[in-house]
Amino acid sequence: MSGAGKRQRLTLRIAAIPMGLLALSCLYPIFFAVNNALKTRHDYMLDRFGLAMQPTLDNFVQAWTRAHLDEYFLNSVIATLGAVILLMVVSSMAGFALASLRFPYRRFLFAVILSSLMIPVQVVLVPFMRTMLALNLVNTHIGLILSYTAFFLPFSVYMMTAFYSGLPRELIEAARIDGASLLQVWWHVMLPLGTPALVTLAILNTLSCWNDILISLLVMQKHRTLMVGISALKGQYSDQIPLFTAGIVIAAAPIVVLYILFQRRIVSGIAVGAVKG
Amino acid sequence: MTANSLHQTGQAARTRTRPGRSRRAEARVAVLFLLPAILLVLVFRIFPLFWGFGISLTSATSTDPGQFIGAGNYLRALDDPNFRSAMANAVVVLLSVPIFVTIPMLLAILIHQGVPGRTFFRSVYFFPAILSSVIIGSIFSVVLSFNGNLNALLSIAGISGVDWLGHSATALPVTLAIQCWSTFGMGVLIFLAGLSTVSKEMVEAARLDGAKMWQIWWHVIIPELRPIIEFSTVITTIGLLTSMFGLIYVLTGGGPGTATTVPEYLIWAAQGKLNRPAYAAAVSMVLFFMTSILAWLQIRILSRNANI
Amino acid sequence: MQKLKILTAIATMVVASPALAQEITVWDVNVDDAAHATYYDHAKAAFEAAHPGATLNLLSQPDAEYYTLLGTALASKAGPDVIWANGGAQAKALVGGLIPLDDKLPDLIPKLVGKSAFTGPDGKLYFIPTTLQGHVVYYNKALYKAAGLDPEKPPTSWAELTKVCDAFKAQGKPACFMMANKEGYNAEFFLSEAANQSLTTQQQADWLAGKLHWSDPPIKAILQAWVDTAKNGWYQEGGNSQTMFMDEFALFEQGVGANVMGLLSNVAHWKQFETNMGVEKVGVYPMPSPTVAADQHEGAPGVPLDGGVGYGVNKDSANIDLAVDAVRILASPEVLSYLVNDTGSVPANTEVNTSGIDSPGLKQIMGWLATRAVPTTHANSSAAELDEWHHQSQLLFNGEATVDQAAAALDKVQAEAKPQ
Repeated sequence: MSGAGKRQRLTLRIAAIPMGLLALSCLYPIFFAVNNALKTRHDYMLDRFGLAMQPTLDNFVQAWTRAHLDEYFLNSVIATLGAVILLMVVSSMAGFALASLRFPYRRFLFAVILSSLMIPVQVVLVPFMRTMLALNLVNTHIGLILSYTAFFLPFSVYMMTAFYSGLPRELIEAARIDGASLLQVWWHVMLPLGTPALVTLAILNTLSCWNDILISLLVMQKHRTLMVGISALKGQYSDQIPLFTAGIVIAAAPIVVLYILFQRRIVSGIAVGAVKG
Repeated sequence: MTANSLHQTGQAARTRTRPGRSRRAEARVAVLFLLPAILLVLVFRIFPLFWGFGISLTSATSTDPGQFIGAGNYLRALDDPNFRSAMANAVVVLLSVPIFVTIPMLLAILIHQGVPGRTFFRSVYFFPAILSSVIIGSIFSVVLSFNGNLNALLSIAGISGVDWLGHSATALPVTLAIQCWSTFGMGVLIFLAGLSTVSKEMVEAARLDGAKMWQIWWHVIIPELRPIIEFSTVITTIGLLTSMFGLIYVLTGGGPGTATTVPEYLIWAAQGKLNRPAYAAAVSMVLFFMTSILAWLQIRILSRNANI
Repeated sequence: MQKLKILTAIATMVVASPALAQEITVWDVNVDDAAHATYYDHAKAAFEAAHPGATLNLLSQPDAEYYTLLGTALASKAGPDVIWANGGAQAKALVGGLIPLDDKLPDLIPKLVGKSAFTGPDGKLYFIPTTLQGHVVYYNKALYKAAGLDPEKPPTSWAELTKVCDAFKAQGKPACFMMANKEGYNAEFFLSEAANQSLTTQQQADWLAGKLHWSDPPIKAILQAWVDTAKNGWYQEGGNSQTMFMDEFALFEQGVGANVMGLLSNVAHWKQFETNMGVEKVGVYPMPSPTVAADQHEGAPGVPLDGGVGYGVNKDSANIDLAVDAVRILASPEVLSYLVNDTGSVPANTEVNTSGIDSPGLKQIMGWLATRAVPTTHANSSAAELDEWHHQSQLLFNGEATVDQAAAALDKVQAEAKPQ
């Protein structure tokens, strides 16, 4: 090994110090949330940074029962799971077509999808609501799944297009010379190669769907989602922070677990990418 | 390099396989592959957008469809001091985009290069993004208050206190810094996915040739990341202009004065508490055109040779 | 034949379904709050007992998105049957989507106070207020004593109030008043409290009509008082970034400030402070005004008071009569008494029995309400004016705008919102 390698290791070790401090700062909100979820409203008001001296599970029990979080939890799981799967399939197909295939109006179609990424949600609130009403999709799980897919699709298609255009061409070409159909190329080459991006998308889209309030508020007044139920816990004067925080901890727990599980997939995804070169 | 390879794909497809029939077949397949995405976007996004544009030309309120008033709402925006400061604030927000892109990129490269503790960092950096902005807000509104922890820390160093979120000069930069801290984890994730397309062999070869670390970054890794950098820049720009509401709502409520009123916040106020949905639609349309032009410019600048 | 049977069956179902699905939906933001639980449970029980087969579906909505959601739903004809709203600008913006209730609830309406916050431009009542909103100053008697002030003699004039604040300023700590103007709420309260004696009855009416302007002397004096009190060090540092609910009130309870401009609604009121600080430590007084109008008496300040929250009926409701009855039940004295007892809210219905509440603070307040209630100036402003006052009050507080600049900006917004 040359001196450059040693210097690099030293640089990386030094970089680890600020990165470690940053990591600690990122852990703090989780501690803050759990700690305050264990306090009474009054204890929180007196000192929100101190340790919960007389921890109580009352907030968790109240959030779970009074706000029907058990029922809302299921609705969130259905909507998120459905939308994330649909998003991965649709965006991987579209990304493959836009990045690797030639066809007329490609730029235009890409621009249409991309431009819908810039639409502020408020401009479409009433038209979107009325479209959903006209299609009879209000208060249905499929309605919420389609809404989430449509809202988060532009981002996903764009990311898959960017990712696929960074992949080596030789792989696709090799597959096509072997006589594989484009559908086979997508299924056998593009989907596996896209794993790192798809896993990232799965994580980001899960977060977007799971944490969404506004779309779900409009589409699902009857079968509410978890975050809507939790946001409604605060009351007008937001003095129910410990109860609200307990709700957030309940909502965030599955995401944290899933995320840590998926972390390994990203690592192995990076290994897949290394085929190149 | 990526942009060129994109271009080459098409040529390769044309020259290596039988032309004519194959190209038509490719176009047919491409349409099928794109159809679901296009349909969803048209029905649930583009169609409501045109409808919303129609509403922006009326005097509608939530309980009255109103009348056609042409460009009235747009002219009103020009005359609205709050709109003007929201636009000025948007410019400040845009100036911070390079920071929002660079920090996650550097962190992701460091993680990819094998910084000690990388598995831990990768897991933890994402946590602030998972939690509600209400929780982030309840932490920072106390940390940054005049009698808060930050000023207490500064007073040890003999620096006198500042009302960070209560002064026009500091409120927006501080809010942006908190936004950066609470979302950089997503950027790290995106760059990590992008880094998986960077060839390890090329990096290794450059290292064996005696290239310094920054040379490898600059000449090997960053050029390979170009599509992801472009993606991240565009996404960050849009994100900053359309999803900072939650944090602003809990940290500053758009103030002091209009110091943290960004267009998105103005739209929320017009839509909800001021009951002027048509005006909100007009401001939204302005924001839509602004972000579209920005994204187009960014894509043009960042990938001059790209087909897309 | 088989087909016909099925068709008949379907037809019966279609015809029968409205009768089966008699559900009245209410949108509100406090339904899931534990302190309000008994009230809503009793309302639901009373409604369902009165209308067998019908259900009352009380839905709590997220506060930050409430009016956005409501506006979108009403514009799409997909709103709830019964609508909750805050009195003043928010409620008045919704009247176009509601039915007037004057003819529907003739027995109930004469017993109500605080109606002006829910009255439409046509003079008709569109919401039934359930609780009142008003503003008084709560003070910490122990801190008054420590500062050498008589804790049993709160200030009754601006001069006395200035003396109180001078005493605290001489001490250094605590602050004389708590200030929480991050959302602009403190400036709203200040406007109403300072206006309670400085406007004549005629001027209050002119304000509602948009004929009294921000740059007119009585209002400009209030803006000047806002600037002067800040400059003279009445408030703790950092008031522009202080959250009001509930951080400011928690700090008051902890003794960071000696006075606080509080509420009469379901929080930040006598009950909260008496519970958390101890009855003996909490005092209350109506805030004096910096100037006293010709038709007012110095030393007897009023309490700005109006309807706090209320319920209205969506004109697109499929069951208007049932929805009206749901409103009647939500506002009925029997059901409302649970809300009053649990949250300490002051009821808008004079027949609610409050004698069970043993609080010296509330007794005093109820006495003032009967004799010295004045209009809530901020509830009689348009939403756009209030929004601008939030901005301008923060700039004035920081010294980033002058009183003249602020008044001019506010006049412009007022002219647009309340055209003459």
